[in-house]
Amino acid sequence: MENKKVSLGDRYAEIAVILITVIALIAGWFYKSSVENSSVPFNVESISAQAPKGWLQSGPSGDELLRTTDRSSSGFNTTYILRDMPLAAGATASQVANLLTLSHGQDLLAFRLLDQRDVTVYGKAAYELSYVYVESNPNLTHKNIPSVVRGMDYIFMNGNSAVVGSFWADEKNYDLDLGRFHLFLQSITY
Amino acid sequence: MTESKAVHERKHVWRNEFLLIISLIVFVGVVYVLDGALKPVFTASTLLLTGIFLALVPAAIWLVFFYMQDRLEPEPKGYVLGVFALGALFAAAVGVPLIENVFRVSHWIYTNTLSTILGGILVVGFTQEFLKYAAVRYSVYPSGEFDEPTDGVIYATAAGLVYATVLNIQYVVSNGGVGLGTGIIRMAVVALAQASFSGITGYFLGRAKFESEQVWWMPLGITLAAVFNGLFNWLRSNLSQTNVSLSGASANPWIGLALAALVAFATTGAVLWLVRRNLNSVQSGK
Repeated sequence: MENKKVSLGDRYAEIAVILITVIALIAGWFYKSSVENSSVPFNVESISAQAPKGWLQSGPSGDELLRTTDRSSSGFNTTYILRDMPLAAGATASQVANLLTLSHGQDLLAFRLLDQRDVTVYGKAAYELSYVYVESNPNLTHKNIPSVVRGMDYIFMNGNSAVVGSFWADEKNYDLDLGRFHLFLQSITY
Repeated sequence: MTESKAVHERKHVWRNEFLLIISLIVFVGVVYVLDGALKPVFTASTLLLTGIFLALVPAAIWLVFFYMQDRLEPEPKGYVLGVFALGALFAAAVGVPLIENVFRVSHWIYTNTLSTILGGILVVGFTQEFLKYAAVRYSVYPSGEFDEPTDGVIYATAAGLVYATVLNIQYVVSNGGVGLGTGIIRMAVVALAQASFSGITGYFLGRAKFESEQVWWMPLGITLAAVFNGLFNWLRSNLSQTNVSLSGASANPWIGLALAALVAFATTGAVLWLVRRNLNSVQSGK
């Protein structure tokens, strides 16, 4: 047994350790993506989508077909909402947007509309609303500081109704969770 | 450096490893009993400061034993502090942000058993074990002061304990403090586990430096430590998970502590046996 400084063998071993760690992390990343992107089919009134697997889901209520929430999100739990809003004949997407803006203004605390525009989402024409509000839990014993929530609505015109996909996320998680929401949006068929 | 120093067993190292485990368990018991008896009331800031103080205790206990041993078998204090500093830097600047913010493991790792095990090994295990290895490899390892295989275990344990300290401080700060009783158990569990898995890496590091092992030797050590790390976290989350009943919810952190102590004793015993066997074969081959 001899005392020695770093040898060539040590260098190779060091490279091998780095390599195996990088390989493990890449494999971990792919596995993470497969877990996060796994979904369960959802189908109501000829509207279908792939909802995230493992999220808390509530069934249809009023014009709300689906509300699914990620209980593991920090702060405000990331939420997707899918709605089917009946419309008067000849209603336009911008009119639906005005209706949604008024509704959000009444229901959501400190609601502010940030932007609205026509967009194309995976080949489908849509109208996009982006906004912000403060999460207001009505439970007075709720001890957490209110969260700033960023939201986004995509309005798809579908004959005499509008299919609206909404994304609500804590300001801190918004950018990180947006990619997953796009997968959900892509899966919506009507 | 004489050859005789490079091959002797250094019983104090192993005594310290076992004393660390026993002292931590005793310390947890004392804090738990005092918390139950005195029921101290904290303000937000004193709760935070107490939590941070408790997080520092495992590494402090090890340092006390280390300096006691040091009078008999001196190790350069600068290198020990260097491993502590580099380990803390790697943990705080790379480990925690990578696991929590890039991989966001808390969002998906507990989805099912497979994700707990695979995520625990591939992401948490490999990240933590690589960074602890790096803290030793890029500080004391190339120096002449790393002059016997047992040094691998000493310095890797230091890296593991400082990693545990960073994890515990992060936990305390992100929760605005912790309850004394359950807090100290959690901290001891993290410290025992991190030190144990580092011991495995340390054994492989020690042999890698002195025995011209194959190129796969060190990757094997990191992989073994990462696998144990992942399996331990899965087992602990399974055994000490919260039980919900009509009378309320309860978690049993003592099971986690018992498991961590068992793993620490078993790992230290196994590494000690391997080092002894190795020394015997070297001595008999002379």
